[in-house]
Amino acid sequence: MAGASPPRRRGGIGGRRLLVLTTLAIAVAIAYVAFQSLSASAVYYLTPTEARSRQIAAGATARLGGQVEAGSLRYDPTSRDLRFIITDGVTRVVVVGRGAPPALLREGAGAVIEGFFSTDGSFRATQVIAKHDEVYVPPSPSRTPAHRTPRRRLRRRDPPQAL
Amino acid sequence: MSWADLGGGVLRAALPLAVWGAFASGYAARARDGRMLASARWSALGALGLVAAASLSMVGALLSHDFSIRYVALNNARETPAYFSAISLWASLEGSILLWTTVLAGAVAFVAWRGTRGLPRLASTALAVLFVMLSFFLVLVVTPAADPFVRIDPAPLNGRGPNPLLQDHWLMGLHPPLLYLGYVLFSIPFAYAVASLILGEGGDRWIVATRRSALVAWALLGVGIVAGAWWSYAVLGWGGYWAWDPVENAAIMPWLVATAYLHSVMVEEKRRMLRTWNIALVIGAFSLTILGTFLTRSGVVNSVHSFTQSAIGPLLLGYLTAVLAFSVGLLLWRAPRLADPGPVGTPLSREAVFLFQNVLFVAATLTVMLGTLYPLAVEAISGDQVSIGSPYFDRVEVPIGLALLFLMGVGPQLPWHGASRSTLERQFAAPVLAAAGGAILAVLIGLRGPAPVLGFALAAFVIATVVQEVQRGIRARRTLHGEASWAAFVNLFRRSGRRYGGYVVHVGIATMALAIVMSQAQAVQAEATLAPGGSMQVAGRTIVFERFRDVIEPRREQVVAELRVVDGSGSGPLAAALTYYPNATGAIGSPGIRSSAGDDVYVILAAYDARSRAWATIQVKVIPLVSWLWIGGAIVGLGAIIAALPTPKRREQLAPIAVGASSAAGAK
Repeated sequence: MAGASPPRRRGGIGGRRLLVLTTLAIAVAIAYVAFQSLSASAVYYLTPTEARSRQIAAGATARLGGQVEAGSLRYDPTSRDLRFIITDGVTRVVVVGRGAPPALLREGAGAVIEGFFSTDGSFRATQVIAKHDEVYVPPSPSRTPAHRTPRRRLRRRDPPQAL
Repeated sequence: MSWADLGGGVLRAALPLAVWGAFASGYAARARDGRMLASARWSALGALGLVAAASLSMVGALLSHDFSIRYVALNNARETPAYFSAISLWASLEGSILLWTTVLAGAVAFVAWRGTRGLPRLASTALAVLFVMLSFFLVLVVTPAADPFVRIDPAPLNGRGPNPLLQDHWLMGLHPPLLYLGYVLFSIPFAYAVASLILGEGGDRWIVATRRSALVAWALLGVGIVAGAWWSYAVLGWGGYWAWDPVENAAIMPWLVATAYLHSVMVEEKRRMLRTWNIALVIGAFSLTILGTFLTRSGVVNSVHSFTQSAIGPLLLGYLTAVLAFSVGLLLWRAPRLADPGPVGTPLSREAVFLFQNVLFVAATLTVMLGTLYPLAVEAISGDQVSIGSPYFDRVEVPIGLALLFLMGVGPQLPWHGASRSTLERQFAAPVLAAAGGAILAVLIGLRGPAPVLGFALAAFVIATVVQEVQRGIRARRTLHGEASWAAFVNLFRRSGRRYGGYVVHVGIATMALAIVMSQAQAVQAEATLAPGGSMQVAGRTIVFERFRDVIEPRREQVVAELRVVDGSGSGPLAAALTYYPNATGAIGSPGIRSSAGDDVYVILAAYDARSRAWATIQVKVIPLVSWLWIGGAIVGLGAIIAALPTPKRREQLAPIAVGASSAAGAK
């Protein structure tokens, strides 16, 4: 091995062994960080009924998908408080947020809301992801939105109690 | 004859030509039969003509609003303007596959006529591989899987119109074709690599033959990705440009692997190392283009279960499996012939930096893939729907990106074989000073945290290494050829285009890194509800909401908030709108953007009083340096052009420039 390698300029431990060890160390470190972050960043997508039956802990990030109940959308332009009900036909969850509703969030249409449950059972929205597909599909609990979903963040950096 | 007859007919005629071409070129390679090769060439040209005619038929049908074709009825309306009608060729699945097939037919014709001149056997075999791929895509477009010319009877009076997001911005005419060109052109290096394996060649002739096509494919894909980010910034109205959406990930994965490949081939060319690895990278990049198409076109990212609803998903998955099984099998079979002359030795050499760089690029690809496919795996196993958001990607990819930026500065400064201490000192003194300056500047302008400060420092480091290299190159040319400074500067890029074009690419990437750091770390955002005449303050600017304006057009209706941005240097108008398309369930936000070299003012009409137009909620973002992201992308493209241009024939024999400046050693 050493015979085939080019002349070493630097002494110390074999350059080749150092190279292999460094490469391995990089790979292991990246794999470790990746798997650590993966479970920490996984956000579960739930229907209101699933969210209720699984008793999601208050404060844990989740995505709630369903239909914006007709007549429930309230937006106060001065305080910019946003409030609506999301439903899957069985369970209704009150969603509160701050900021104007995205144009795609409409009563009767499907929506996916990212946020967390507060202790009073309401859902604090940090991000509204209204559905917008190539072909409009009525909301169903078994589909998450994906391709090119316009999203708007609602005061994402704020601490929970600020909402 | 209708557009459907014409388009469908020529596609059906192209399929047998492609199948014959595969046979003829394969036979020509085996039997060294010139007549068969000629026949394959003409088949390639014929197939290209027919497939191009099919694409033009579709464009004709779209422009003439021929709603008897289902694709036109679903993606076009009478009100659609001509530009958006024409580019609806790639608005949806069938048209995209048709465009793909056309580009692939172009690649086949290119290899048939240009490639087979110098290396008849290798190129003929590669041509056979390409013809097989073309046959597959032609099967897709003549069967219900993706037939673009399926008819509806009776034809509707008007069509549904293109997806609103696709008829809102001119960039839609640029981003998808660039991406497809990039995707499809990777077929050429892949076909040559496979051909080299089939023929049992141990050498790197296939690399030399496909150097330019790999570079062009890489550049088009990269510029296409940046154009997509720009489109997303200008259209989607959230003030960002990258969200680690599966579609974006699908595009960036092959680009990452291809970037690794473009660098590691230099190791093979210089040191005859990494042969197996290079073939593996080409197979990887090409397979990832198919994976990307599969992910975006089969609906699988919506749900694991939705992809079986159309035939295209299983077919693409089958194609991907076949490509992987065939090429990896070949590689394993031929691996003994590809033995490296020796392992990479010392860590402080250019080849070692390329090795680290490759490890990082592949790690970046695998981690992006993990985050993209993990939700699919979870859903397939447990039925739960999970999404992996940007926190994962930011945590993993940002450190990798910083490490790559570091290596980008280090690599060109290290000589092949290994560096001595004096070389290190000479090479790195100025760049390290620049990096320190970058870090101090970052802290002074208010950046905090390791990633932004490091990003600044490393970008400065990279730019300084390039400046140093160019200075040395100029000095060497002046000494060796007695050229004037400006002539030496121009000749560096003309005569050593590959090397100095590569440095231009590095500058482009460093520019983009600065733009990303600043736009992520120092964007300022504010939102307020204003009555007409009201104003708000953001980052030293006053945004005045002047009035509402309602626009009614045949194809859409807009509610426009007319604004005025006032800052120290003056004021300018800006409009943010919500646009209603008849085929969309909600409004599409059309942000207003006022760009300058320093920052962008980005305004969104978030909500308005629908009854009496008494108020509007306006969201304003001031995003520093974001336009440098697109400029950086253009610099990358420019560098790739410099690197891909043929070198003029040399009159004088260039002595290795490096006699005095060891860094320039090994220059072409």
